[in-house]
Amino acid sequence: MKIPRLLQAILVLAGVYGGFVLVFDVILEQVIPSSLLNMYMFFVVAGTYMVFTFNEESTEEIVAPIKALVEDPSKKMMRNVVFLVVPLFFGWFTFQQMKPSFEAPLELRTIHPAPPSAVKVYGKRYNLLTLENPFRKFEKEDPEKFAELVRQGGAVYIKNCQYCHGDKLDGKGPYAQGLNPVPLNFQDIGTIAQLQEAYLFWRITTGGPGLPKEATPWLSAMPVWENFLSEDEVWKVILFLYDYTGYSPRSWEHE
Amino acid sequence: MMTFKFIHGLVFLALMAGVFASGPSVAAPGDVENGEKIYMKRCVWCHGEEGEGDGPAGDLLVPPPRDFTSGLYKIKTSPFDEDFPNDDDIFRMISDGMPGTDMPAWKDILKNEQDRWDLVAYLKAFAELEEEPGTMVDYGAPVATSVESIAKGQKLFHDGERCSECHGQDGKGDGIKKLKGDNGERTWPRNLTKPWTFRASNDTKDIFTRISTGIPGTQMPSFANPKSKTMLSVEERWHVANYVNSLAKTDKTVRAVNTVVKANRIEGDVPSDPDDPAWDTAELTTFMMVPQIFEKERVFTYTNDTITVSAFYNDKEIAMLLEWDDRTRSIPGDPNIDKIADKVPYEDRVSVQLPVTIPEGTQKPYFINGDTENPVNLLSWRSGTATSPESVSVANATGSENIEERDAANFGLMAKSAYKDGTWRVVMKRPLSTENAQGDLQLVEGRFIPIAFANWDGSNSESGTKHSRTTWYWLLLKPANSAKPYILALIVAGIIFGGLLWWAKAARRNGEV
Ligand code: HEC
Ligand code: HEC
Repeated sequence: MKIPRLLQAILVLAGVYGGFVLVFDVILEQVIPSSLLNMYMFFVVAGTYMVFTFNEESTEEIVAPIKALVEDPSKKMMRNVVFLVVPLFFGWFTFQQMKPSFEAPLELRTIHPAPPSAVKVYGKRYNLLTLENPFRKFEKEDPEKFAELVRQGGAVYIKNCQYCHGDKLDGKGPYAQGLNPVPLNFQDIGTIAQLQEAYLFWRITTGGPGLPKEATPWLSAMPVWENFLSEDEVWKVILFLYDYTGYSPRSWEHE
Repeated sequence: MMTFKFIHGLVFLALMAGVFASGPSVAAPGDVENGEKIYMKRCVWCHGEEGEGDGPAGDLLVPPPRDFTSGLYKIKTSPFDEDFPNDDDIFRMISDGMPGTDMPAWKDILKNEQDRWDLVAYLKAFAELEEEPGTMVDYGAPVATSVESIAKGQKLFHDGERCSECHGQDGKGDGIKKLKGDNGERTWPRNLTKPWTFRASNDTKDIFTRISTGIPGTQMPSFANPKSKTMLSVEERWHVANYVNSLAKTDKTVRAVNTVVKANRIEGDVPSDPDDPAWDTAELTTFMMVPQIFEKERVFTYTNDTITVSAFYNDKEIAMLLEWDDRTRSIPGDPNIDKIADKVPYEDRVSVQLPVTIPEGTQKPYFINGDTENPVNLLSWRSGTATSPESVSVANATGSENIEERDAANFGLMAKSAYKDGTWRVVMKRPLSTENAQGDLQLVEGRFIPIAFANWDGSNSESGTKHSRTTWYWLLLKPANSAKPYILALIVAGIIFGGLLWWAKAARRNGEV
């Protein structure tokens, strides 16, 4: 059986809408803000309209059942129903749009903003384009010393970072729930695995307040670690992050 | 069809996994060597190389990490007269973690059950535990929850201050006893209205088990011990468990979607007393607080983890009700508080942080006391001392080092508090607009205004930067209902209906031609 074109179009729209709700609200458990959903749906409707009225013939096919509904006397019953439902739907939609909204404003932010070329901390200037972890070389040269450095980094982590980033480094520390934006999950392939150690050095030493504006520095609860940790401690804790998660930092050589 | 098959496959796999996984405690005794390997990577940081609970994080954590050399475990199902737990108990704590502490659930990262059994074997070796007791608390015939059972449980809970002695009249852990754990560390009785802080869970079966076994290493006793004057029969313990389970405060739990304090408009005066019945109709929003571990001086141990806020406003004023559980009413100089506080207490305090101007874009002041470009107003209430009454204060801040106190009376800030059975309720009232429009936030209807909260438990030595706080949330003065949306909806529906009729009519006329 062939599904009428008009029904096809309606099914596509309903399917996409249901898909959004399913993916965001149910699977990701992150209720999609209605303003965003409306914007997406606008493009979907426009796209569907274009596809389904691509040429004269398909336009005709879509319009025919509508025309028949209005003009064909045998469809009177159906017509009455549609004439009632359509205005009601638009009335309801208008009401939904006009009623005052108590949904919190949407705040978009960049999670990994582009770093500056240099950063000034510990009274020195560090060129982020050439900066390297001074302890990284021991990984090959002196594995025993390296293991000890990682251990010291772990101690720094557990005393300072685990409250938020979690002792499993999964961003779910005991206080994570009370923060917005939530702490980063280092086990996720999208965080430290994509970054260079110099980037981490910048993010750790200057913390939330050191972020550029597009990353909402006023919201990020990441402390300015320059105030708490020595330079060596920062490099060691970076070693620990990679060692614990099993990722390697990105480096210039491989690019 | 595809998905159906897929789901079937999953169910099948899960079943198979269950079949294979259900017996390792008997089938495969833990491999201590593998357990040690995992322990040294994942557990050593808190529990220490020798299992003594003295890893580098050691004294920063409250409660402290378990010392495995004693062989005592808090959460066990073996009867009270067995010192040591069953292997399943240790396995469960490793898998599910202990809510309300730094001990996480490991099952999502140590996915292989055998790894967790190997850890059990390794942990037991610290205390040279060998055979597990293998016996369980006598559960008798469980009593399903009911109004009658809860009422019986309530009576037993309060009888001779059986539980309320420590857990308080309302179960908020505000009993007047100073308690210590076996290692001398300060412990507080659980706030039984906060299920998210239960180390096991607040299922009635779990509560029943805790009442029966007690919590080893702490002063939470067993009520199955026939030698105890406060002993309870199996049936009585089910009633008490049903009662404790019913204490969960479901209207005051944190929900991630609730980010807005919604102030409702009322006719007449805003309620200025915490006991005003008007508050019963307010919309509650509960926020999680975290200790201030962001700026110097940090605090790692905190006692108050949530704050519940509601508000009303009229043409002139806004009144905000701030409610939080605090086991201690900290009034410096009051002999009652000296009995329970560890050190000389400070005053309890709460403060509301608002930006000085409503931000136009997304930029807000830094969430802790603002920054040089973006100042904040801080409206505070303090609990008072034995010699001075409760007080309010207003300050403007551009960062934690730059907090400038101002005249609160001039600003028009007022507050009134009530403390009862482990809960502070404080009403703060301020005018919507003030004379100093440059230096004070002017509140307006219908705008989303950033708001944050900070809280000090004076008995926990919290003052200044040592406190717990929230990040930015929103305050909204909800506009009163108006008829406009209804009218517009009617007009739109009318126009479309008219248009359709006209179309149909035109079509019919064409058809007739
Ligand atoms: C960030 C610190 C931390 C890490 C890492 C950690 N624990 Fe714990 N653990 C704790 C704390 C704190 C407690 C005590 C909680 C309490 O007393 O309420 C605890 C308690 C326990 C208990 C006792 C449960 C009971 O009933 O008393 C076991 C078992 C345990 N941990 C096993 C482990 C294992 C196995 C690992 C490694 C896979 C581990 N822990 C890693 C902090 C940690
Ligand atoms: C002498 C003081 C004391 C008495 C009496 C007492 N408790 Fe407790 N209770 C405690 C302490 C202390 C804790 C917290 C132990 C810890 O640090 O984990 C606690 C914890 C609990 C927990 C939390 C279990 C979990 O999973 O976290 C429950 C439930 C509980 N008590 C119920 C009761 C009931 C019911 C009674 C009366 C039948 C009672 N308690 C009597 C001191 C007491």
